[in-house]
Amino acid sequence: MPEPCGRTFDEALLSGYVDRALVQRDGQRVRVHLERCAACRAVVEDLRAVREATMSTTFETPRDDEWPETPRTGAGRLLVGLGWPLVAAWGALLAGYALWEIWRETENLVERLLLVGGVTGFALLFIGVLLDRLKTAPTDRYREVHK
Amino acid sequence: MVDSAAPPLVAGDDESDSRLVDRAKAGEAAACDALARRHRRAAYLLALQMVGNRDDAMDVTQDAMLRFFTTLQSFDAARRVRPWLFTIVRNQVRDFWRRRQRRPADAIGESDALVGQLAAPQASPEADLHRRELKERVWRALAALPAEKREIIVLRDFHDLSYSDLAQVLGIPIGTVMSRLHGARRRLRAQLEEEGGRHA
Repeated sequence: MPEPCGRTFDEALLSGYVDRALVQRDGQRVRVHLERCAACRAVVEDLRAVREATMSTTFETPRDDEWPETPRTGAGRLLVGLGWPLVAAWGALLAGYALWEIWRETENLVERLLLVGGVTGFALLFIGVLLDRLKTAPTDRYREVHK
Repeated sequence: MVDSAAPPLVAGDDESDSRLVDRAKAGEAAACDALARRHRRAAYLLALQMVGNRDDAMDVTQDAMLRFFTTLQSFDAARRVRPWLFTIVRNQVRDFWRRRQRRPADAIGESDALVGQLAAPQASPEADLHRRELKERVWRALAALPAEKREIIVLRDFHDLSYSDLAQVLGIPIGTVMSRLHGARRRLRAQLEEEGGRHA
């Protein structure tokens, strides 16, 4: 159905015309219409002006020395991913062994209760803070402040 | 455009992408470096235009480049690298939004942050000033658009992707590219008119 301006093709062809992406027949239809339609000519000129402004823009980009010299490899990331849990497990085992040794050498019940209470308290506080941090990390708006 | 900000030629820059991909697949670190140097700026610019600030764009780009190299073995060297890399960047941007609990329909919050990344002009005669103002208006309006409208305009008008490349990157049939692009451009024109009225 023709538009009020007499256009008989989809308006999207104007974009295709600006992008030189039309087949010859469609391009010819648009060209003929534009010769007698000031409104569609204005649309095409607007599209061209915005495209020209967009494509001629330059942005600040990071300097070469701000990029890691070589891309991180999958193997590297895998090794780091395996290494951290191993280090954490080693730390936990070492701490557990030390506690066990202290427990064995302490015979007084009060000293044992002080030891277990203190360690349990610190562990609960640490786990509580860790869980909060992990939960808020993805949406923390101040995450980048230190950068 | 992207190439105007390209770094000086380095080893490997005169080789075709497909040859570099073949060498990188064979494990040559120099070929990986050459590919990274050739394409990371364009990847960064797309990420910047989608997430709106430098730090997040750097993170997204580094994740995208990592993904690019870890999936290189499955990439057909006869295909073009840039659309494939842009597909990866687009997916990384979506992952980034998911982590930040944002939706593709959201505009970039700090639209002036993107405009703040425009390179400073070399000189400022009056004509350049007018052009600069137009660019700032356009990028401010683009930042205010929903991401799916902004990405198709940016990919076509800034990164100069063909319609078939657009279809590949956006995962849509090539027959719908023109209408979707025009819909986005109409929305951009409306946004520019709205912003013009607001600043008048």
